[in-house]
Amino acid sequence: MNQLIDIIFSASFGYAVIRVTTPILFAALGSLIADRAGVINIALEGTMLVSALTGVAISAYTQSAWIGLLAAMIAGGLVGLLLAYFSLNLKTDIVLSGIAINLMASGGTVFVLYLIAKDRGISSSLPSLVLPKIQLPLIDQIPVIGAIFSNHNVLTYASLIAVLIVYIFLYKTPLGLKVRAVGENPDAADSVGISVIRVQYFALITSGVLAGMGGAYMSMGYVSWFAKNMTAGRGFIALAAEAMGGASPVGTFLTSLLFGFADALSNNLQSLSVPAEFIQTIPYIATIVGLVIYASRKTAQINKIKQQEK
Amino acid sequence: MKRKLAIVLVIIMAMTMGFSGCASTPAPTPAADVLKVVLILNGTLGDKSFFDSAAAGMQLIKDKYGDKVDVKTIEMSYDQTKWEPTLVDVSEQDYNVVVLGTWQMVDALQKIAPQYPEKKYIIFDTTVDYSKGDMGNVYSITYKQNEGSFLAGVLAAEVTKSTLPLANPEKRIGFLGGMDIPVINDFLVGYIEGALYVDKDMKVSISYIGSFDDSAKGKEMALAQYNQGADIGFNVAGQAGLGQLDAAKEAQKYAIGVDSDQAAIFATSDPAKSNLIVSSVLKRVDQSILRAIDMHMEGTAKYGEAENLGFAEGCIGIVKNDNYLALIPAEIQTKLTDLEAKITSGEIVVGSSFGMDTAALDKLRQGVK
Repeated sequence: MNQLIDIIFSASFGYAVIRVTTPILFAALGSLIADRAGVINIALEGTMLVSALTGVAISAYTQSAWIGLLAAMIAGGLVGLLLAYFSLNLKTDIVLSGIAINLMASGGTVFVLYLIAKDRGISSSLPSLVLPKIQLPLIDQIPVIGAIFSNHNVLTYASLIAVLIVYIFLYKTPLGLKVRAVGENPDAADSVGISVIRVQYFALITSGVLAGMGGAYMSMGYVSWFAKNMTAGRGFIALAAEAMGGASPVGTFLTSLLFGFADALSNNLQSLSVPAEFIQTIPYIATIVGLVIYASRKTAQINKIKQQEK
Repeated sequence: MKRKLAIVLVIIMAMTMGFSGCASTPAPTPAADVLKVVLILNGTLGDKSFFDSAAAGMQLIKDKYGDKVDVKTIEMSYDQTKWEPTLVDVSEQDYNVVVLGTWQMVDALQKIAPQYPEKKYIIFDTTVDYSKGDMGNVYSITYKQNEGSFLAGVLAAEVTKSTLPLANPEKRIGFLGGMDIPVINDFLVGYIEGALYVDKDMKVSISYIGSFDDSAKGKEMALAQYNQGADIGFNVAGQAGLGQLDAAKEAQKYAIGVDSDQAAIFATSDPAKSNLIVSSVLKRVDQSILRAIDMHMEGTAKYGEAENLGFAEGCIGIVKNDNYLALIPAEIQTKLTDLEAKITSGEIVVGSSFGMDTAALDKLRQGVK
């Protein structure tokens, strides 16, 4: 037990939590924007995969990690655009289209990987680059805090800033208001002259760009290569984190952090004397606990309103 | 009407010409003495591990026997619904020998093999249950991975005790497994025994990723082990295990790879990482398949039996690449060579997780934590 406490209160654990959270947070923010515009982006997983591969391929080709990141974001946006075209113009079911994109990305990335790297498993033969880590001045000097918050990948900081940007965008800008209006009641939004389709297009593309940054982090920061299906369900965990966070930026951030914490805990606990099977369920137990708390708060609110009405 | 008829006629003519064109180049009918061997993989190539190694084995067979064999590799992908139908298909066709692998194919093979007694089947990395029916046409190959990982354990323990630049004084080494399953635990048992052979007080941090493709999680777990004081780790987790190599680079610690020479994967693209991989335990699926076909050719193949292959047969080994030769002190190298000889001769018998009950395995794992 002492060992457990030692681990949780060590700086390297705090550092790991933030690192593990990053890809989930990006995808969860992507899910959030789409959700607030009334469209469910279930294709986050596939988007991340496509972007992860694009980032590796373009950074290897141009020998610039930044151009690789830019390409990954564009690729993410294009996948979002594709989903938007299918669901908004061709009127397909958005969940089915999302699943189709996920399956296509899972096989398609391996196919493209084979074309460019002559390998069906991993891109290690490509001289791809990673995005730099950043030493935070001043904070770096503070003992424990510095070890936890400094020296992360540049995208980790970007993900934290993205939370703020998404918050300001949704609540402080006219376009954010339109997004929320469309999500809340598309007919009402339409009646006051908001183009519902255009707003939803915008939301899905932005959602794709955010997931794309998460994908780029996976292959150009977290590890230094692309491997088939390397996102391993993080796109879906992000959907859960967003739902659990009550579709608000801060809530989504906190739940993403909770998932990161549970994941980092499960990674660290294993080497202690706890059975592996139990530890692997921790992130999922955290999900259920979170959903229960969320649901009970929601019902408490509803009950309160009902009583007031009486 | 006439025009339509004309079009239809043209199409028919084109088609008949097309077909006769095919027929005029007769398919090379296999001569009676050509051995047709097919490898069916319940996954895809590119795993840098045993499916790739099995495919390399088919190439070895082709290189050795040339025109006397006809080899083909079929990737069935990870879609389980394709596996059994493909097995039936290749059994219906004119292949003489069907090669397949992994425990996931056992049930299907046990059902199909008795129905095609004239076909021969070679299954690797597992064994069929010969009491479950007439399987006189099935040869099962298992590997003594515990022997290879015994040496990995010895190597890791020697490295952690040594004065190598990145070694720390703490007597702790790491093991990163894919899943808590018998094959992986067989590696683990050998590894622990090897480490304890060097030093009774050796501690082993053991983690299972719970997946064979989440390399990011593999990296996290390996970093956790390195943070806890391990200065060398051994990964047995396929693609997910590659995360450990990234972790080794980040934490500046050593790693030991598995299945193929993992230092070679990054030798050109990332030398700084490659240089930390001191060795890899090899499971030579390619050699074992070649060996089986050699025996088939000689008529000595042991169909109807399972065989457990290790150092003696050249199917298990550890990589002695440039890193190994440059980094590992000469006395440790000599020690490993001696131990390899002792294992081959049977002087040292390495324990196996197969047939070990869960309580005994847990005791072993807890003992080194």
